[in-house]
Amino acid sequence: MLEATPTPPGRLRRAARELARAALPSVAPILTSLLVCFVAVAALRGGVAVAVDAFLAMTWGAIGDVPRLLEGASVAVLLRPWGESATKAALLTLTGLSVAAAFRVGLFNIGAQGQLMVGALAAAVVGAAVELPAALHGPACLLAAALAGGLYALGPALLKLSRGVHEVISTIMLNWVAVALIENWLVPGPLRAQVGGGNSVAGTAQIHETAELPRLVGEVSRLNAGILLAAGAAVVLWLWLARFVGGYEWRAAGLGPEAARAAGIDVRRTVLRAMLTSGALAGLAGAVLVLGTEQRYPATLGAPYGFDGIAMALIGQGHPLGVLATSTLFGGLRAGGTRMQLFGVHKSFPELIQGLALLLVAARLVWTKLADRWLPAREGGP
Amino acid sequence: MTAFVLALFDSVLDAAPALVFAAVGTTLSERAGVVNVGVEGMMRAGAFAAAASALVLPTPWAVLVGAGVGAAIGALHGWLCIWARSDQVVSGMAINLVMLALGQFLLEAAFSSPSGTPPITQLTPWLGHSPLTWLAVALPFVVHAVVQRTPFGLRLRAVGEKPEAVAAMGVRVAPLRLAAVVASGALAGLGGAHLSTAVLDRFEHHMPAGLGFMAVAAMVFGRWRPLGAALAALFFSVGDALRLSLASSAPGLLEVVPQGVLLAMPYALTLVVLSLQRRGASRAPAALGRPYDPEVR
Repeated sequence: MLEATPTPPGRLRRAARELARAALPSVAPILTSLLVCFVAVAALRGGVAVAVDAFLAMTWGAIGDVPRLLEGASVAVLLRPWGESATKAALLTLTGLSVAAAFRVGLFNIGAQGQLMVGALAAAVVGAAVELPAALHGPACLLAAALAGGLYALGPALLKLSRGVHEVISTIMLNWVAVALIENWLVPGPLRAQVGGGNSVAGTAQIHETAELPRLVGEVSRLNAGILLAAGAAVVLWLWLARFVGGYEWRAAGLGPEAARAAGIDVRRTVLRAMLTSGALAGLAGAVLVLGTEQRYPATLGAPYGFDGIAMALIGQGHPLGVLATSTLFGGLRAGGTRMQLFGVHKSFPELIQGLALLLVAARLVWTKLADRWLPAREGGP
Repeated sequence: MTAFVLALFDSVLDAAPALVFAAVGTTLSERAGVVNVGVEGMMRAGAFAAAASALVLPTPWAVLVGAGVGAAIGALHGWLCIWARSDQVVSGMAINLVMLALGQFLLEAAFSSPSGTPPITQLTPWLGHSPLTWLAVALPFVVHAVVQRTPFGLRLRAVGEKPEAVAAMGVRVAPLRLAAVVASGALAGLGGAHLSTAVLDRFEHHMPAGLGFMAVAAMVFGRWRPLGAALAALFFSVGDALRLSLASSAPGLLEVVPQGVLLAMPYALTLVVLSLQRRGASRAPAALGRPYDPEVR
């Protein structure tokens, strides 16, 4: 671009512009999606007033019932929703990081769902079958889940490297193998909880109390250490990618395997490590689900958090902190979504917002063109 | 024994068409170079649209509506992949996630029920089975003939192998790919419509319960060929029917081989077939997943 004498903008302003340019392809789709979904509720559920009420209910369900707090209710009206939001945000963050980690080396891990399931099962088994002091039991369960998830992800990576099998296909297959083997065989069969007195419980045996994730604010709220684990993982992954040679090798291998190889990077080892990490993160999500909320592997895991991870990774543009931010937002919306049922909107409605946002993020070219029009880059340019 | 085989045959004829339509449809899209992991969502949309419109329309028309909605979502997938340069896998998974949640939202909004639509009139059987069954018997051969024996089919395959060559021939790549993805969506929608108008008589909230992903497995198992995909779909359906009939007739056998293990078979077998292939011997179209950008040539 030709400019006679460009007045050099302040560094801060330039940084803000760069940040806005980078965030636009995430923020604009989220806002568009919220708007579309608002219109859908207004059109199908009886007008704008209902939609406003429903969206407000979702908001208070996510960030805490601020109006009631102002009316003098106890702080529990904040803590309880925070617990639900944080629980969901932790799961989304971990599966989102899982997908994002694999993305960095150029692999699309659709298998986070399967890795989450084997991780959840490993945590449930170690949590119930092993007896350890509390200081060791939780970590042992987390380690088992991370290992199980990591190994389950290693298969597709090896198949890709040795046989050229596309990881999208192999991880889709492994997702369904996990569903069939775990939820149709192991959980209702050999691992089913043995309960005395003729009572029957679906799912595996309940884990010992020593294995449960510690609650952060007592019994008032389900807020547990899972969100700290997830946020910690996001920061560690960010530092790893941004500051360490190993993380630099991941990025190099993802951007151009040939160039990376020419530069002396062991691409094979790099890919295997990244996929192991990816699977371990998904496995940890499974552990957080079991150790934090379910206390056992239930008859069925329900929501497909592994697939949600794809949405989190992409809306967060593969940046660990972007994933954390996106997951916090959608974790909140999904916790608050249960409050929308009063207005005749199914509790899975936030998943619609999330899916639509992903669909819009997918149209990346649209947003980058918009960014070029609204916030033209001052320098550089291709 | 004969009765057992006949009953098995009957249940396969009822259940298999959904998978056959979806699997054959997926080959069309992928042969043209566009990955389609959104089949699951397209099937779900077709199943819902067919059931919902069958409440006000004659069922045959409702089936067409189902296929039409599938085609529309195929067009959306095509637009995202071809013009908006979306990652094809991302677009497909996004479609799956949207349809999963949208189906639930619309069920609640239109029928005030989280579990399913009210019952509808099923398609009138023809020679003992839904007309869609007979269509599913004929369709793989038709698609095979179109793909292998017509100039259009040649271009379709070429656009998935080497789009540059097709462009050099003076044929535009984008409309050709779009046509393939739309056809793929229509067939997936038809498969979904079969679920809600022939297998059951309503849309149920969990439909199609992973059948779309099994269609992808069948397509890979059938090595990206319409007849291969249809045969794989048939094979998986026979396996499933066998499992179901064994569950009722010989429960003792299922103690030796658990149902879950049998359920995992289609996916495990597909993985085994893939891992036995030599490196570089993949039958996947060469330009699969690669957007065609004339400036990059």
